[in-house]
Amino acid sequence: MARMSYRDAIRETTAGELRRDESVYLIGEDVGRWGNLFGASAGLLEEFGPARICDSPISEAAMTGCAIGSALYGMRPIAEIMYIDFITIAMDQMINHGVKYHQLSNGQVRVPVVFRTQGGVGMRNSSQHSQSLENWFVNVPGLIVAMPSTPADLCGLLRSAVRSDNPVLLIEHKSLYFTRGEVPEDDYTIPFGVADIKRPGEDVTIIATSWMVLQALAAAKTLADEGISCEVIDPRTLWPLDKQALVDSVKRTKNCVVVTEAPAEGGWSGEAASVVHEQCFAELRKPVRRVCGMRTGIPYGTDLEKAVVPDAGWICDAVRELLA
Amino acid sequence: MSDNEQLMELYQQLLVLRHFDEFCYDLKMKDLIMNGFHPYSGQEAVAVGVCSLLRGDDVVFSTHRPQGHSIAKGSNTRAVFCEMLGRRGGVSQGIGGPMQWIDKPHNFFCGSIVGSGLPIAAGVALAFKRQGLDSIAVCFFGDGASNTGAFHEGMNLAAIWDLPVLYICENNQYGEAMPVQEFVPVSRISQRASAYGLNGISVDGMDVEAVLNATTDAVAQLRAGNGPVFIEMITYRFRGHYGGDPEHTYRSREEIAVWRNRDPLLLARTRLLARGFSEETLDELESNVRAEMEEDMEWALEQPFPTVEQATDHVMIPLGQD
Ligand SMILES: Cc1ncc(C[n+]2csc(CCOP(=O)(O)OP(=O)(O)O)c2C)c(N)n1
Ligand SMILES: [Mg+2]
Repeated sequence: MARMSYRDAIRETTAGELRRDESVYLIGEDVGRWGNLFGASAGLLEEFGPARICDSPISEAAMTGCAIGSALYGMRPIAEIMYIDFITIAMDQMINHGVKYHQLSNGQVRVPVVFRTQGGVGMRNSSQHSQSLENWFVNVPGLIVAMPSTPADLCGLLRSAVRSDNPVLLIEHKSLYFTRGEVPEDDYTIPFGVADIKRPGEDVTIIATSWMVLQALAAAKTLADEGISCEVIDPRTLWPLDKQALVDSVKRTKNCVVVTEAPAEGGWSGEAASVVHEQCFAELRKPVRRVCGMRTGIPYGTDLEKAVVPDAGWICDAVRELLA
Repeated sequence: MSDNEQLMELYQQLLVLRHFDEFCYDLKMKDLIMNGFHPYSGQEAVAVGVCSLLRGDDVVFSTHRPQGHSIAKGSNTRAVFCEMLGRRGGVSQGIGGPMQWIDKPHNFFCGSIVGSGLPIAAGVALAFKRQGLDSIAVCFFGDGASNTGAFHEGMNLAAIWDLPVLYICENNQYGEAMPVQEFVPVSRISQRASAYGLNGISVDGMDVEAVLNATTDAVAQLRAGNGPVFIEMITYRFRGHYGGDPEHTYRSREEIAVWRNRDPLLLARTRLLARGFSEETLDELESNVRAEMEEDMEWALEQPFPTVEQATDHVMIPLGQD
């Protein structure tokens, strides 16, 4: 085990994959000289050179299309979109092309590309640099959507993403980069569609994603002092979704809260809640509660941006109400 | 100038594309081709001239009007008929339809989002360059596509990284019903290439030999590692934007007649006659090609439609096998 930051986990894993497989390359804005905004690829240009650590022009569509085209002919690109907010420019290339080619070729063409990006609040960057847009992608057949919440999960899921021949969108969170955790030292992978129980408990299941997992764990700690035992589950991939893990947990606890930073309406939180309602209807004491970001553009400033997305306090309130 | 034999081969390919297209037009009028068919009649010299210079391992990206490029790249005409008709046996097994299919054995891709091919073709070229191959990527697109972000982003990327991509803009004078002069502020679309440091040229796209000559130099340049290249082919589509569109709302019969005088098949035929081929030889060739296309069409019409189960095949590689 090594203790490292989420940011360093990205860099170490990327470097490992670049060393392991010559066809892997990283492409993105300022991934080379700057080594990514957060340092997630610092030093890689020196080790691997500009052909494999490719500073892209500010052209999200071209960078994404380039990654897809090269993946069709033997390369395994990791395409980094600096902020998920910029992915709107790249979405045609991803969704209409990259994700469609396998089916349109009747299975003859493979598109082994990883789209890495980061979302969420935490840098006081306001409404065009702080969104949680994962929901759009969960609705695209053929695309895997991963949202690791810990350094260890990041390593395992990023390795799986690079080694998979399916296109994968891996969404990091800007408030996670400098969190730390234990990371096994071996070359492990984490399969897509396998949830992880981050904290076992008996009274209520809290299903949370990405940075919200940390909020849920903080809430669970507070609630433990009040005698409430929370089980915190992180699905790790929004699609494929480990329905069984959610259902098994809720059948035991009989109570469920779903937490996402993204607004509730039309989102994955509704999907998770539906799975629980459909399969645990008899066991549920009360309907599933959702704790989600407010339906607003993310406002500017330290206090305000945090005020419109869930935190441990919101989760504690929801759990208390549910169990009352 | 090409020799007689070569011109004869090109003429035969022009005939294949024309008769294929005209049969598709009939199928569309009968609603057997359902939707999304965009006729290629009039533009054949571009696909035939360019693709005659390509190798099997070169990759072609095309548009919503892909049938000519696909056949010229080597796709089987029966398989393309089937795809048009949405039948099993189609290049994409009847799942893609008339404007989106992939023919992997012939390294052919197309899609119906205008302009989107340029960045992807650049990526294919990047892979070739990294792997030290001399294969090239060719990207066909229309005049209308030259106003998309992907056009500019893609060409810039290919230019800054010297990628072996051949960009072929088929200026057929219209984007749907809108005339090109109304949506492009420069007199030649090839001028746009100069913004990316490229020496764009404009070529008579009705003359298969002119297309061939211009493209021969381009392909040699690309294989030598000096890319990308941008060529505007000045051409015209004889039929509506889609099979059965209200053409009279945007162009006159007189205008169509002027361009039909420069029919690429007519130009090639006139040249073959001047070089000593007889009317009978050329007529016989044409009726053979027509009969062959008809036979292929009849065969395709016998093929089954995909089942609902097949419609959800290959959405992704199953987990664990990926
Ligand atoms: C991104 C996008 N916008 C609009 C359309 C609808 N559309 C289909 S073909 C076409 C015209 C394209 O013009 P051009 O690029 O000149 O090609 P042409 O049809 O003349 O071959 C349009 C607007 C589309 N398919 N994709
Ligand atoms: Mg046009």
